Amino acid sequence: MDVQQRETLLRAMLDELALAGYRETSVDRALAAAGVSVEEFEREFRDKDDCLFAAYDQLTAQVVARASAECGGGEPWPDRIRKGLEALLDELAAQPQMARALTRSFPGIRPAAYDRYVELLARFVPFMREGRAYSEVDEELPGEVELLAVGAAEAIIFGEVDAGRAERLPQMLPEILFSVLVPFMGPDRAADEMRSAAMSN
Amino acid sequence: MRGDRALPAATERDRALRATAELWSELGYERLSAPSISARAGIDAKAFANIFAEVEAAAEAAIEVPLAAVVTVVAELYSPDRSEAESYAMAVVGILEWMADNPAYTYLGYIAGRQMAPPRVHSVYESGHQFLVAMLERLWASSTLTEQPARAGLAALGAAEAVVRREIVAGRFARLPALAPDFVYGAITPFLGQEEGLRLAELSRQLVKEEPPR
Repeated sequence: MDVQQRETLLRAMLDELALAGYRETSVDRALAAAGVSVEEFEREFRDKDDCLFAAYDQLTAQVVARASAECGGGEPWPDRIRKGLEALLDELAAQPQMARALTRSFPGIRPAAYDRYVELLARFVPFMREGRAYSEVDEELPGEVELLAVGAAEAIIFGEVDAGRAERLPQMLPEILFSVLVPFMGPDRAADEMRSAAMSN
Repeated sequence: MRGDRALPAATERDRALRATAELWSELGYERLSAPSISARAGIDAKAFANIFAEVEAAAEAAIEVPLAAVVTVVAELYSPDRSEAESYAMAVVGILEWMADNPAYTYLGYIAGRQMAPPRVHSVYESGHQFLVAMLERLWASSTLTEQPARAGLAALGAAEAVVRREIVAGRFARLPALAPDFVYGAITPFLGQEEGLRLAELSRQLVKEEPPR
């Protein structure tokens, strides 16, 4: 199969997963959607799970790349975090089925799949490290403060996707930004950033 | 196997619940079956059917075990003689100690109930989770913020839970109590600020080191 067909097949598998659930996910329907034969599928993947794991890996790579592309540049760290979050939320809102596959359908398959979800969250941790320089207290912040920030955003995003409201995620940028910044900057300064994001959102 | 600490003289129902928790945390919900639960519990299929009409009923009952444990710990450790936040910090230590002793139920309460459960079982998880969020949001009463983000409680709990989930996935259950300072800082800071978050994190660190509450 060519690159385009592979891409279409992996997307179709995640669509199947999000819409039908793991048990009812049909490789045959995904193959038909991608115009790929059974023989081509078997040359590339061991089975349905192998294909689903490949699809998830591709999706997570795209999501991380989309968000991280906005986190570079010379702007202050809180601004770059806001832009990264904005890109992430727009991406998830534009593809509600993919958002569901990302957070709920795939991680729910079994523990090995859930491990991939935890790995995905860990990939956002490096973007948070610069936040330590924004702390207002003399004491060193806890060792896990970066993961705390990632987990705060994940909790709101997961809740909205799980409730079938992925389309509304961009509206939640200000309060998600507050929750990401607050472990580093404290509530007052995080609230300033939240208000600023609300005005430009 | 994510085996929890065995209790003496467990009933068939207890054994079925524990087997459900262990198999669910090892294999996922899709691969749970009445025969596999019965075999792990050491009870016959008829006995399982008499206790639980179906696998989903066993899963629903199993998810209630960690939720009940959390409520019990909170009830024991909340005291009018302490500030709300100090009671919270003590409760976090107590909950993490319970989790370290009960890996399979911990996996259910933190991961499986949230992301690996059918709707009926997930709703049981949700009710317990909302209880914890509401408990945390009581701290707004002591906050100086005039504009309170609507989902700050959810996010604060999610922050702390992300650290715990990573340890659970890595199988490092015994390390969970040592995460109390990070958990407390993440949960408290949005409401009471960094200084108070760090003070209560230190309090929880001392509780873990000196005299873990039971």
